[in-house]
Order: sequence, then structure tokens, then C-alpha cells
Amino acid sequence: MSQAGKGRLNYRCPSCFMRDLDIDMFYDKDTEEYYCLRCQFTGKEDEVLKLNEMARFRYKNLLKRITDFE
Amino acid sequence: MSKFILNIIHRPEMVPEYAEKVTGQGKKEDIGRKSLLTESLDIFKLQQEIAHENGFKTTIQMTYASLFNEEAVQLAKEHHEKYGDEIGLTLLGLPCKEFREKYKTKDFCIWMFSMEDKKSIVNDVFEKFHEVFGFYPTSTGSYYMDADLTNYIKEKYPMVKCAVATCWEEGPKAYRTCNNSWYTLFDGGPWNPWIPSKANTHAPAANAEEDSGIVAIPHLSRDLLACFDGNGSNFGTHPQNVLRGMIYKDGEYPYLFNLIDQYKSLQKYNNGYAYNMMFVGPGWMNKMGRWEAPYELLVKSYRDGMAYYAELRDKGEIEDMTMTEFADWYRVNKSYTEPECALWKDILYGSEKQLFWYVDPYLRTCVDMNQGGALIDLRPYVAKLEWPVGIGTKHVQDASYPFLIQSMYRAGYFTHYAGEGTIKSLKVSYEGEEVDLCLCRTKGKYSKKGKDTILTLDPVEIEFSDLKLKLVTTFTFTEGSSEIKVSRKIIEMSNPDAKVHLNEYMTACYGTTEYPEDMCGITLRCAGKEETKELSYNYKCREESVSNATKVEAVVPQINTRVSLIPGSTGMEGYLREGYAFSPMFTLGLTKTISNSEELITCLKLEKAD
Repeated sequence: MSQAGKGRLNYRCPSCFMRDLDIDMFYDKDTEEYYCLRCQFTGKEDEVLKLNEMARFRYKNLLKRITDFE
Repeated sequence: MSKFILNIIHRPEMVPEYAEKVTGQGKKEDIGRKSLLTESLDIFKLQQEIAHENGFKTTIQMTYASLFNEEAVQLAKEHHEKYGDEIGLTLLGLPCKEFREKYKTKDFCIWMFSMEDKKSIVNDVFEKFHEVFGFYPTSTGSYYMDADLTNYIKEKYPMVKCAVATCWEEGPKAYRTCNNSWYTLFDGGPWNPWIPSKANTHAPAANAEEDSGIVAIPHLSRDLLACFDGNGSNFGTHPQNVLRGMIYKDGEYPYLFNLIDQYKSLQKYNNGYAYNMMFVGPGWMNKMGRWEAPYELLVKSYRDGMAYYAELRDKGEIEDMTMTEFADWYRVNKSYTEPECALWKDILYGSEKQLFWYVDPYLRTCVDMNQGGALIDLRPYVAKLEWPVGIGTKHVQDASYPFLIQSMYRAGYFTHYAGEGTIKSLKVSYEGEEVDLCLCRTKGKYSKKGKDTILTLDPVEIEFSDLKLKLVTTFTFTEGSSEIKVSRKIIEMSNPDAKVHLNEYMTACYGTTEYPEDMCGITLRCAGKEETKELSYNYKCREESVSNATKVEAVVPQINTRVSLIPGSTGMEGYLREGYAFSPMFTLGLTKTISNSEELITCLKLEKAD
């Protein structure tokens, strides 16, 4: 098994992102998985994308244009 | 006055932070790599092009590295001629072959160098700038400019008028988000431009004697709620920061525009003035993308951000200035003691939470309406704390202005199991029951009366087993006073004959991070008309009280600060509480029993201890 590298995009670990940590993931081309050096997360690209969607749960006004600031 | 001012700043950073690490993955480090230099300059050109297409002038902050690049220098000259861009000089972007050969270090943050190196670097970059352009710059900056650095620059290059001097609440939170590897520790400053004091950059000057001689601007305009409890680098007028926070969907990021608009709305709290700045380092728009955001989205967000500013400008709602133009404007239109205020609303999480931020030369504080008007941040600027930073000082990296209260780092109302957290609030007691206003969610309204900035909270309802009451809190900040007057008035009671006990308290400590400091050496004192009681902090969990209090105070020599609570009327009891090792805090309080329609007035005062 050769060393890991970066994937198509430089994904961050979604599990760490949800605890306010920006940790680059590395890509294991043998298993086609991204993995985190800090926590135990591993996942394929589609799972990372799905979890990145989930991470936005806290932004209830993500798509809302606000005009009243009182 | 109705003025919303915009500074757009670009820097040709020949070796952008992040870019070497990201684009150079799998390659041996080489900061002279041609592909890196070419791409960096291309990004700068693109940023300039986008600003100019939208009809804006920029401030080009030349980096040391770019002064050795003929094309970058030529571009700056051309853009100054053609678009009126200002050519300034940043102390960011130091790394390059020439710098590394001379200083033999990979350090790149100017405030962290030894004073000797700071002087030498300033001389080198300013003289190189002069050699290239034939004049000295009038604006400079970095992520943080410590007071000694600014004082030296002003002494040697008095023409400098403006500097990017801090990044709001970039401290332990940013450090942690970056896997404990990004050492920009400088919490505790103002969020909008200010005139720094000679003693400490964060603390605004109170008069001409304290004036450092520059107008400081923050690095970006940050979300005053999201950044206080989150990674600051996700929430600012930096489109790619918004992408970093994943605050977008399908290429849309209304949050960025909401943020700009909320800054614009701050005009109503600051005599018609509001401010915004955008300053994106080239590393954020590199062709490899930035994390999961592809290059195309990075560029689109920059175009969209600039186009939105242009839309506001076309409606006459914003005015672009260069940094030096802004400094000149600021000097004419602002006084030393005029406070900067922001009644800030949550625009992202849907909580309707509201914070009131206040800064003047004597203090910075934050009132949390979601906790009944509790003070959740307090920085005693009045101490004008001399806090040298960099190699050879006690604070190599930690440039934050110390707090007395910081409810995120040292808990607030809520603690686990034992102990107390830093907060200033009110407890209301009636027949053995007690309610803390921290659990009463409310909203606030701003008003101004002469020299007084007034924050009036909507009435909160407190419910005991057999008594209901309504209470109104009002904060008054009198310009130049270094005091916060707090009024708690009962406006309604289900039993008009009932009497309730009010306890106005402040639990505090000192520090700059989440971790406790040694509290020994702090003196706690409560003074009454008949007697004064005092103790020296030693973690013994002691308490003292006096009747007919005239003052309760703590002297914290570690931050040269005296903080006191002063009764606004007679007949109050004053008390103090020492903490213990598991609760390294102290509490000062004033109490009184009052009836319907009565009011408890107290005053929080901050002074320099010596």
C-alpha cells in the first residue's frame, strides 16, 4: 500500500468540521476513501458530501435574505 | 450623517499563506517555485480586475516579496495612475528568498519577532518600498500590529496614517479550529476602526497624549455574534471565509450580503457612520480550490461580493475609500471618546438572539439579551495595559487584551456540577426561591441622550410559586466615564405589597484564554459607611459582607485593573466572595430588598490600578 495523497478536492473531515475543527483529509486510493488523521472518520466522496450537507443543519437562515436588523 | 465606508485591499503575496502547503502537497518546500509565483500574481491581477470592473479603487498593500517582482511593482504603478489605487505596504507576505536569506527564519508574523528584528524588518521593507516607488507608504498593516511596532513605525516613518491592526476575536478559537497550529492569538479588540493607544493596540486612545498616531482598521468586518462563539474565519466580509464555513448552497450565499447589510445598519448606533472592509489574501483564490470549494466558486464568490458593494454604491449607500483617505476622514469626523456601538442580531442560526457590543477608550463589553442582559465580555481598556509581544517578551504569541469576563472561555451562568463562571447579572429572590436573569430571554433597544448611550431591555417576567413580577433593566454608558450604570426596576407585581431581594453581582477572573491563571495577589474589598473588609485571594472560599455599602471592589494587579460596583442609593449590603481551586473566580455583589415600582441602581466602574 503506497502513501496517501490529496483527492480531487481538498475535503475536510466532516466529523471534525462539526466540532469546529478544520482538518484536511487524505485520500487512500486503494480503498477509494478519505480519512482523517485526527479522528476516526473514513468515508467515500459521496458520504463526505452528504455529511457536509448535514453540517449545515445549524444554519437555519442559510438561504434567507434578511432585511430587518432590529 | 449617513456614511457607509468601504475599504477594499489587495496584496500581491508572492508566496500566499496556505498556497505553498496546499498546492505544494507531495513536493519538497520551495517558496521560489515559479508556478507558485506566477499563480500568486495572477490571483492578485484578477482581484484587481474585479474591483476595477465594478468601479472601485483599492488599496494595494505591497508585500516585501512583491517589491522584488518587477511585474507586481509595475502593476501597482499603473493601477495607481489609472484607477487612483493607493499603494501601501503590508507587513504580511514577508516570506521570500531575500527575507529568508537575511533573517534565517521561517517566522512570518511581524508581531512575533524580537523587537530588534521588528525594527530591522520595518527598516528593510520601508526602505525597499522607497527605493522602488520613490516615496514612503501612508498605510501599512498585518493581522496584528503590537503597540511597540506601531510606535517604532510612527517614530521612523511618521507619514503612516492607517494600518490594518487586528482581526476581531481571532484568538484561541481560530487556533483550535486550525488544529492548534495557527498562532494568531489576539482577541479582545474593537471590531470597527479605532485610534489605538500608544500603550496597547487593542485599547483605543482616550486623548491626544495616548494617540499612537494611526487610525487602525480591523482585518475584515466580522459577524459579532457568530465569531464570539465560533471559528472567526467563517464569518466575515471575506467571501471565501463564508465558503469555508459552508454557509452556502448551490452557489448561493445570502449570508454574505446579510452580513454587509447588518454592518450598514450599524449607522443608527454610531451617529450615521458605518464601515466595511474586504481583504482577501491570494491564497484563498488559488486554482487548486480551497478545501471543498472549487476555484470557480471561489472566484464567483469574490465577483458576487464586489458586485454587491457596487450595487450599494450605485444606490448611493456606500462609498469606497483607500485606507489613507479613510484615515483622513476618520480623524476629521470622530472624537477620541465617542463610543462604537453595535446592537447585533443573529442573521445565521435563526435564534433571534441579540447582543449589544460597546467599545470606548475605557472598556469593551458585550450585553447578551438572550441572558436577560448579562455582561458576557468585559475588557478593562482603562488600564492601557502594556503588553509587549514577540520573541524575548513574556508573551511570544499571546497578544490578546485580557478579560475580566469572558463567558465562553471561563463559563458564564452554566457550569458543570460545581463552581461559577464569569458573568455579570442579577439574582432575584423571594421566600426561599431564586431566579437569575440569565434565564430570562429578552430584547434590547438603543437610544442616545446627550453623552449617554442607553440600552433598555424589554421587561422580563419572573415567576415564583406565589408571586409574579416584571422587571426592566437599563444600561447607561456615559461617554468618558469608564462606568456602566445599571438600573433594575420592578414595574409590576402580582402582590403589590411583596418585597423581593435583588442581588446585583459580577463573577470575574482574568486571562486571555480558556485556561485559569493564578488568582493569588488579587485583593478583594468591601467598604461600608461603618467598616471595610478586605482579603487577599488565596483560594480559601471565604466571604465577607458589610451593610450600608459604599463600594465593593477587586484589584487585579496582574492586569493593572481595579473593578468596582458602587451603589446608586443608600442601604445596600455589599459582599465579596473568594473562589477556590475548582472555581478560580471572585464575586462582587450589592444587594437590597425592594418593592413594586422601586429601582436598584448600581454602577460598574473600571480604573487603572496604579
